[in-house]
Amino acid sequence: MASEVGVQSDVTMTGGVGARTLHLKLLRKQWQILALQIVATVALIAMYLEVVSTYVVGSIDHTMLFDSIELIIGDQLPLGDWLTGEGREGLGRFFVPLVLGLTIGGGMAFLAFQSPQTQQRIKLGFIITMIVMLVGRLIISWLTGMLFSFDLRLPSDSELQTLQWPLLMIMSLVILFIYLLPVIMGTRGIWGLSRRSIAWAIGFTLIFLGIHAILTFPLIKGQLGSYGAQFATLESQVSNPTIGLFGFKLVTQEQFNLIAIAILIMVFQESSYGVIRYLEYAYRLPESCKRDPEYVRQMDNLLNGHLRHTIGFLGLTAIATMVALGFHSVLLELVSNTTGSQWAGQVSESIELTLTYGLVISALMFLSLMAVMRFFIPWQRVWGLIQSRLPSNETAQDNGKEFAQIDI
Amino acid sequence: MWTRKASFTFTGGISLILIGMMISNHQMMILGFAFVAFIVVNSWISGHGDVEVQRKLSADNLYKGDDLYVELLITNRSNRKTQLLEVYDNIPHEMKLRSGLNQMQLNLRPGESARIRYVLRCPLRGHYSIGPVSLRARNTFNLGVEEMYVDHHSDIVIFPQIKDIEEAFLRSRTPKMYTGATTLRTPGQGSEFYSLREYVPGDPFKNINWKAYARTGELMVNEKCRDAVTDLYILLDSRDVARIGTVLKNPLEMSCVSSASLAAFFIQRRDSVALAIYGDGLSYLPPDTGDKQYFKLLSALAGVTPKGNMPLQAVTNSLSGRFSRGSPVFIISSCEGDGTVPAAVRDLVGRGHEVTVLSPSSIDFERLVSRIPRMSYEVLKLERQNRLTTLAGSGAQVIDWMPDMDLSQALMQVRGY
Repeated sequence: MASEVGVQSDVTMTGGVGARTLHLKLLRKQWQILALQIVATVALIAMYLEVVSTYVVGSIDHTMLFDSIELIIGDQLPLGDWLTGEGREGLGRFFVPLVLGLTIGGGMAFLAFQSPQTQQRIKLGFIITMIVMLVGRLIISWLTGMLFSFDLRLPSDSELQTLQWPLLMIMSLVILFIYLLPVIMGTRGIWGLSRRSIAWAIGFTLIFLGIHAILTFPLIKGQLGSYGAQFATLESQVSNPTIGLFGFKLVTQEQFNLIAIAILIMVFQESSYGVIRYLEYAYRLPESCKRDPEYVRQMDNLLNGHLRHTIGFLGLTAIATMVALGFHSVLLELVSNTTGSQWAGQVSESIELTLTYGLVISALMFLSLMAVMRFFIPWQRVWGLIQSRLPSNETAQDNGKEFAQIDI
Repeated sequence: MWTRKASFTFTGGISLILIGMMISNHQMMILGFAFVAFIVVNSWISGHGDVEVQRKLSADNLYKGDDLYVELLITNRSNRKTQLLEVYDNIPHEMKLRSGLNQMQLNLRPGESARIRYVLRCPLRGHYSIGPVSLRARNTFNLGVEEMYVDHHSDIVIFPQIKDIEEAFLRSRTPKMYTGATTLRTPGQGSEFYSLREYVPGDPFKNINWKAYARTGELMVNEKCRDAVTDLYILLDSRDVARIGTVLKNPLEMSCVSSASLAAFFIQRRDSVALAIYGDGLSYLPPDTGDKQYFKLLSALAGVTPKGNMPLQAVTNSLSGRFSRGSPVFIISSCEGDGTVPAAVRDLVGRGHEVTVLSPSSIDFERLVSRIPRMSYEVLKLERQNRLTTLAGSGAQVIDWMPDMDLSQALMQVRGY
């Protein structure tokens, strides 16, 4: 997708002020597209920070790994502490690496829009720099040593020691890259219009969550011994809910964080894929359609709809998930308030209800109710009726003309 | 209907809930609940195809190779948004998009309209129908999809191309048929008086002979002589062998073009033209003149398809009784696979008709699609030449029409025989 954008680089805005077309060069600067990309980027950053703050920070974060390596090698790693976040507390350890990840991802996206020749040159330059950084000092010192002593020999220990710094540097960068993979790939996917990179970002996050879930399973965690103790486990259910709606306390802070992760993954996914989908559609349109105001107007409609739905429906999804998770307590509270019976209190104290089975059954019951409600509430029609009464900003159509002149 | 994405999301959500329950992992459960909630919330909104569609065409009849301008107006008549609606106007696969696109993604508000404009190139003659309009409604996140169509069709007839024919090319050895208007003693449209007859309802008042009315006391009308040069009969071969060649270049296509061009030429001169198309069966359009006849001829030619194997003699035997005496007959046939052609031509010539055989060279058309060894080609060509010479010997004017030859050029060969 990104490489295809270059094909239309000769397209310029013509036709005076206000001439809008669906050429990618113009469309990529359209506010709805930019808004979707910004929403996706913010969701990506928020998702990443939420995941690391829940599972990684203080448990298995990169600074702890760097500390362990430094302890093993008995020396400082080449990357500065200001860059890795060593010495800072909490999420602060991730701020600078996060910026680094965004920059690398943005750079990769920028690279994707360059001509193949430029891309090849930059990649070649990068590889050469890496090779020179890795073995440059060794080769220079070894060759000059052989030249001055006029002797053909293997590199000495002191010469081989010159490899230590570059190897450690590369290792540190690889570790940072692995930690920042979702951010780098996500940023590249959003701004470089790459579906594969977005899938990588989401997939990596989900795989991490899955592996973490398996490793924190009590049986496995017990087998891991002291290593397993490092993993952050979530006690999200058996505490009292503190966050809620309309006076009902629905979920705990931990549950809320987990919901936020899930919703942010979806926001990131839907808005980034949405941008690619619409740009692909616009790209495939023939030249005459790209200049047709009708297509431009409908593209606006589609993008506005997508923006509204991203905010509205994913917000509703978050609320629905919260209500579903706290539905058992809402039911019990209602029963207790309306009947005043002891039964509600007894049931609410039941460990079965607060644990998984009761929660899952009540949550699925709520979601099923919601799904059925669409057949009873014609809100889509009501909203449509309101919209049809609102003044329309529709562009004037040339109704008088039977056939418009189409450029061939 | 759920899309694959919705199915995966829902299945994934349920699986995560179950696995989360199994290993007591709340993140998995919550992720699963969020996925299911996402599906549930989005099931509240669905796209629809409750739209009104109007299609305007720049013409109902076109000539082959012309451009057709199509405008499709889609109006949302319901009280809700369409959501992501893909509109696709089905066009016959024989037509090619020249400009614009026959599809659009739109999201119409209640009462809002959108126009799709596109231009079609019509490279093949025939009777076509544009439509129906296919609709695919999705919700924004592509979780639900509904496919439907609006049964709205626009019929169009693509006539064969008309080539210019210069009069000189049609001049034959016996110029009597083309020497100018000779009144035929048959009633019809014309200027000269033919006879008086009784008035029948529907006759124009201007034709009433008032003097005769005063004399007889009955309404009488003047009938005129049919004012025509002559009746021209075109026998068009649409047998299965006429399909040899490419879609655009084959004996049948060339035959249709020549029939239409000849018909146009003669009707323009106020002659009457009849058309007989034989192949699977025989369809016959009696001789007449005027725009209406011209339209009928073109419509008939537009619908010709190659099929059947009717011999020419069967055609001449059944139609010769209807042919006006001495009228010219054009036989447009490759003369392949029909041993009755010489006999039929002899028969027509014997009856006093001036017969012209316009024969597209099917061997050369076959060469366009398949490689024929040189020797085989030479032999086939010789056989064809002999066949045409036999026809010429029977008294017909024979035109050997090569694929790359223009109709006017081909007609010039008449002088050679």
